[in-house]
Amino acid sequence: MGDFLQRIAIEPFKRFFDKVIQFLPNFLTSTLILIVGIVLGMALKGIFLRFFRAVGLDRVSERSGVIELLRKGNIRDSVSVLLSKVIGWVTVFIFAIISMRELKIPTVERLFESFLLYLPNVFVAALILLFGYLLGNFFGRAALIASVNAGIRFSGLIGKFVKFTVFILSATMALEQLGIGRETVIIAFAIIFGGIVLALAIAFGLGGRDIAKAYLEKKMKGEEKKDEISHL
Amino acid sequence: MDSIILRKEVQERIKEVKEVDILVGIPSYNNARTIGHVVKAVQAGFAKYFPDKKCLLVNSDGGSDDGTTEVVQNTTIEDFQSILLHYRVEPFFKIATPYHGIPGKGSAFRTIFEIAGVLNAKACAVVDSDLRSITPEWIELLIKPVIDGGFDYVAPLYHRHKYDGTITNSIVYPLTRALYGKRVRQPIGGDFGFSEKLAKFYLTKDVWETDVAKYGIDIWMTTTAIANNFKVCQSFLGAKIHDPKDPGADLSAMLHQVVGAAFDLMEIYPDIWKAIKGSEAVPAFGFQYAVGLEPVNVNVDRMMEKFKLGTKELSSLWKEFLSKDVLDFLCESQRLSKEEFRMPDNIWAEIIYSFAMAYHKKIMNREHLLKSLTPLYIGRVASFVIETWESGAEEVEDRIEELCMTFEDKRDFLINNWD
Repeated sequence: MGDFLQRIAIEPFKRFFDKVIQFLPNFLTSTLILIVGIVLGMALKGIFLRFFRAVGLDRVSERSGVIELLRKGNIRDSVSVLLSKVIGWVTVFIFAIISMRELKIPTVERLFESFLLYLPNVFVAALILLFGYLLGNFFGRAALIASVNAGIRFSGLIGKFVKFTVFILSATMALEQLGIGRETVIIAFAIIFGGIVLALAIAFGLGGRDIAKAYLEKKMKGEEKKDEISHL
Repeated sequence: MDSIILRKEVQERIKEVKEVDILVGIPSYNNARTIGHVVKAVQAGFAKYFPDKKCLLVNSDGGSDDGTTEVVQNTTIEDFQSILLHYRVEPFFKIATPYHGIPGKGSAFRTIFEIAGVLNAKACAVVDSDLRSITPEWIELLIKPVIDGGFDYVAPLYHRHKYDGTITNSIVYPLTRALYGKRVRQPIGGDFGFSEKLAKFYLTKDVWETDVAKYGIDIWMTTTAIANNFKVCQSFLGAKIHDPKDPGADLSAMLHQVVGAAFDLMEIYPDIWKAIKGSEAVPAFGFQYAVGLEPVNVNVDRMMEKFKLGTKELSSLWKEFLSKDVLDFLCESQRLSKEEFRMPDNIWAEIIYSFAMAYHKKIMNREHLLKSLTPLYIGRVASFVIETWESGAEEVEDRIEELCMTFEDKRDFLINNWD
């Protein structure tokens, strides 16, 4: 009876106790690292917030349109606050990962390894999206102004088309970076883009018949009265 | 950018010439049709007014492929007796060379300044290569105030058609006068005289990679001379008749270069223009007379269309820096017919000052900002044309004077909101 009790209760309990004893230093180290990470994260957040404000990052971001982008995403924080928060959280996150590794649990280690390997893709995709948005705005505005100055009636449409094309292109690249439906995304993009171009070509062809006719007639029969103003 | 005087053939020519008293520069690009006349006028001007001076003509060319340089090299007045009773016997010197750097009028001028500096030219002038109305007297009128009057900068005064030089009349003249306090009527006229001291001063400035290298050169030369207290005067040259400036040039690009250069200068000299009060006339030389000018075709309907299109599509950009009053006016204008439409002086002055401040504060990409000014400028020109359709030259000049006064009156708006 004593032997039986020893085998089914005391020995497993001892093994468990040994493991707990063995695990406890790792757990304490891990907790300590996490606490250090949280403290350091808070400190870095404060330091970077002051630094970003001192170098006038908010003014630059206001001019470059980043603020506009954030407001559209319903983010009310300034870029300085946002970036310093990100730096703080990234620090905490890194320390959290280190602390998890310190636990030396194989399943957790594998999980974090795959997550860490994927993480750069997420950052690159986010960057591609951000640049895509900024470039889309820039080229869209350039196209809008150029077409207005050329006197094209549907200038607004041209501006929007350019803006969204650039953004869709960047979204496609971002999805490809994330490895989500890699080929499907490229094919879908090609189909959509090709479709739009074809639709536009048909629309111009059908809708522009009269304009083309009028243009050719004007060319053949003589131009309308032109400005001879010398601006300089 | 390489200095043009490093080129072997130019160095040889400079060694040959050694020193000159007077230098006249002609920037050119595909002006074979008109440059021959300009060269002859300059040569006759040298012979008639400066027979005892050593004179040099420099043609700074932008890579013409229509034989402009050959025309310059081969043009000379064979029979002086048919033009002048007394004329110089000694030949004048000529250098025709391509310029380096960004293609544009400013780069051509830089080459002229460099050659003038090396040859220690006492007085210089630049004249456009597309002029049809230039006479030998222009050379006297641009050079004599420098040689005899001790002036450093001679700006031109012309009679121009009321719709010729609309960027000058509606933006550059009122703005320059209001900011720097000198009434230089043609700050971007294109034909200027200047002293050796000023030519060398221009060369000390590092602006040759900016819009100054293009159409911005004229406003830059005038403003630099005024803001740095060089002695400035004007010479009446008569009528200005010229070929259209680079017919392929896009209006918004021209506007961008000229207005961009003017706004850049505002950033360079804020302490100077903020301290200016009112404006004063500058000495003017030459006998003023009325001239007949060729009529100019204007299509106001098309201008109105472009203005309304711009107002409809670009208001969302302008709302970041134009006041509510201006935006309301632009919105209201959408509904007005050609006959009802007017853009008042105070609105126009506020628009220009607001664009200057937006440019200074970098509210958006500067090229976008300046190019978005085009429809508003077209609207202002349309308004001016409608308003002055029946007016004579004097009445038009009075209207421009009123606009200048409005720009001067609204200076406080600019100064108070600049920083």
